[in-house]
Amino acid sequence: MTDNKVYYSVEAEENLICSKCGIPLEKTEAVFEYLDNSFPVELPACPKCGFVYVPEDLALGKVLSVEKVLEDK
Amino acid sequence: MDHFKERSTRDYFQKKLYSLEGLMERENRCIYEEPAFCHAACPLGLDAKKLIAFIEKGSFSEARAMLEHITPFPRILVYGCEAPCKKVCRMNEVGEGIDIPALERAAINHGSPKTGKGMLKFKKKQKAAVFGSDLFSLSLAAELARKSYPVSFYVSQADAVSLIKDCAPFLSEDDLAKEAKKLEAMDIKIIYSARLTKELFESEKKNFDIIAAARSFLSICFPGDLPDSRTLLSPVSQLLSSQNGDPNVLEAIFDARRAGVSADRIAQGLDPGSSRGEEGARESRLYTDMSEAVPSKRIPEPREGYAREAAIEEAARCIQCKCEECIKHCVFLQETGKYPRILTREIYNNVDIIMGDHLMNKTINSCSLCGQCTVTCPNGYDMAEICRDARENMVSTTKMALAYHEFALLDMLFSNDEAFLSKPQSGYEECKYVFFPGCQAGAIAPDAVFKAYSDLAGRLEGGVGLINGCCGAIAKWAGRTAMYEECEELLISELKKLGNPQIIAACPTCKKTLEEMIGAEVKGIWDILNENGLPAGALEYDRPLIMHDSCSARGDRDMQAAIRKLTDSLGCTLKEVPYNGDMTECCGYGGLVSYVNKDLASKMAQSCTKDEDVPYISYCMACRDRFAREGRESMHVLELVYAAPAGNPPDISEKRKNRLNLKRKLLEEVWNEEVIEVSPEYKIVIPEDVAEILDQRMILEEDVYDVIEAYHAGGSAVYDEKSGLLTSSLRKGNVTFWLNFTEDEAGEAGVYTIKGAYSHRMKVRTRYDV
Repeated sequence: MTDNKVYYSVEAEENLICSKCGIPLEKTEAVFEYLDNSFPVELPACPKCGFVYVPEDLALGKVLSVEKVLEDK
Repeated sequence: MDHFKERSTRDYFQKKLYSLEGLMERENRCIYEEPAFCHAACPLGLDAKKLIAFIEKGSFSEARAMLEHITPFPRILVYGCEAPCKKVCRMNEVGEGIDIPALERAAINHGSPKTGKGMLKFKKKQKAAVFGSDLFSLSLAAELARKSYPVSFYVSQADAVSLIKDCAPFLSEDDLAKEAKKLEAMDIKIIYSARLTKELFESEKKNFDIIAAARSFLSICFPGDLPDSRTLLSPVSQLLSSQNGDPNVLEAIFDARRAGVSADRIAQGLDPGSSRGEEGARESRLYTDMSEAVPSKRIPEPREGYAREAAIEEAARCIQCKCEECIKHCVFLQETGKYPRILTREIYNNVDIIMGDHLMNKTINSCSLCGQCTVTCPNGYDMAEICRDARENMVSTTKMALAYHEFALLDMLFSNDEAFLSKPQSGYEECKYVFFPGCQAGAIAPDAVFKAYSDLAGRLEGGVGLINGCCGAIAKWAGRTAMYEECEELLISELKKLGNPQIIAACPTCKKTLEEMIGAEVKGIWDILNENGLPAGALEYDRPLIMHDSCSARGDRDMQAAIRKLTDSLGCTLKEVPYNGDMTECCGYGGLVSYVNKDLASKMAQSCTKDEDVPYISYCMACRDRFAREGRESMHVLELVYAAPAGNPPDISEKRKNRLNLKRKLLEEVWNEEVIEVSPEYKIVIPEDVAEILDQRMILEEDVYDVIEAYHAGGSAVYDEKSGLLTSSLRKGNVTFWLNFTEDEAGEAGVYTIKGAYSHRMKVRTRYDV
């Protein structure tokens, strides 16, 4: 797995603001990790506090399906 | 020990589920693949059940192909066969057996012969000679030709028709002509009008590798040289011949088949007796339930044979003998679409795989472990044992993902920690009895538990303690042996503190689990109520009820009877259904199915309550809850005894609150202890539709409170300017919980209104975090 590979990318919509830092979220390099596997992705995150936002459709869609595959590996 | 450490897909541990003998011993109990009785009775191995099924569908050509496959001269077989299949047909027991030979004749008459030359076959080097003509030698010559041996067939007859006629005199002129034509078309060198003498044999035999003869030829040329009963090889002459001097049609054709196998062995230079496998008719171990077979009479076969329609009608009488006793009653097996033997093999292989996809994991975790198959199977197949062993194996080799059972296991720890209560009766240090209501009773019907304890403590002499917790069944079902042992340690030590009192359980699963744990009898509260009478105020119920027996009460006739005695004294009129008592089905809670496979658990509960639109009564709180969740009117017997209806089924959060509230109420009202509750300074509003989502997604109110608490304490959140919603998250153990909510300032304290919730198990971080 190379660091350049990105498995999934979510654009940071302009209307998403970090409530703590008061600044808009930005598309950020992030990692999903599960059962000793990791997947580089791009997700909206606060550039200051680093809070990564996982939208509901991603959590219940792609993330859930990858979880299930790994659980039975 | 950290029970909640996630597995790694990079761990490669393996432990055999069973030894090969252990696997075979289990698999052999399943008789699903046993041949039907008609099939087993045929020495030629004709699968009559399959042939009949073809005819029933109108596929006469397929049926005919089956006959042509087993013998080169199917007309001779179908008109001359003694038909042992017909005698063993199970329909004889309820009426008249299927006329299988008549159906075979219909297959020949109405089916088309196979066309095409088939695969190109090369002739074998070894040559065969057959001397003399009878049905055996005729069939063997054709059999050897099929096997691609160059065959020379020495016969005294002058032509094919007279040859066939001498071998099968019962054939009609028309059939004789057809079989003769078939013989002529075969790749056999027939030497007609041969003088069949020993001299001929002696002069010719050197040219051949395989030699066979009609039995009369053998007897004349080599009197006393008898063929071996298994290989049919005569020791002196080395001739293959039929076993009996005067075989019937089936024997002659079967002997030709056996001699063909010996010929192959001789050609290969092997002992003719080696590697022959199973030959001839055999006993079938198949079980067929005849209770629903409709008696019927045979459709008479006219002289010219069945017309197509009549054959189809006769074939339709066949019940297609099969054993599906376990599948008939088990929603789990129906869902897998597999019978136990194949399921066992797939589970065994699944456990054995080190790397790759374990496709059976969900299946292994979807069995309710209820043991119904062990009762319905004529051989006592125990699918529960296999699934439980597989779960334990997967846990011990770190192949069991926590995702399957984590919620249930955490719930068990909650029962045995935060909600746990173990106390002697006020005024006693040690007690004669201890009431063990079980975790689900407190979660679903806390009032009934409170009243039951008060009643027992008030009426029984010698002190009644209380242990309110989980018996450990959840850990057992999940295959988590170490967690079960910790639970065992806790309960044994609490029991010791109470002076090892007689346990009174209110749950059949607790009773069974605790009996195994302490190795002594555990009483049911139903026994105590039957001995001491009902408490004052018990509800009388005059509508008819269906009793649903708990799957944990399977095999415990005393418990089943005691419950009925109790409902009798309550004045209940019980309607008994066929799947009850030892045959009862699981509601979908057993084996933790409802956590792993919600849809299947729903089907299980629906299957339990399918019979009539009458309220269900049970003595297992999980059954009561699961039926109510499926919209069925259901009640636990203790709700009637203690006039404490539990109402609508609680969701997962209410089940926890009920247990905590029960503990508080017991401490405050029974033991006069003060309980201090701390409430947050803000308010959280969970609308009803969101509460439903929480329940479906297995997110507890406690998790909601923790996310809000973390946000309230200065945690991050995303504010969506379009929707005006805040979204925040919190990682708790192995799960990240997310909430959508609004934050309103109402006076000094904030009000958080929850708008949505979801979770995932993956961890997420920016790539710069470590």
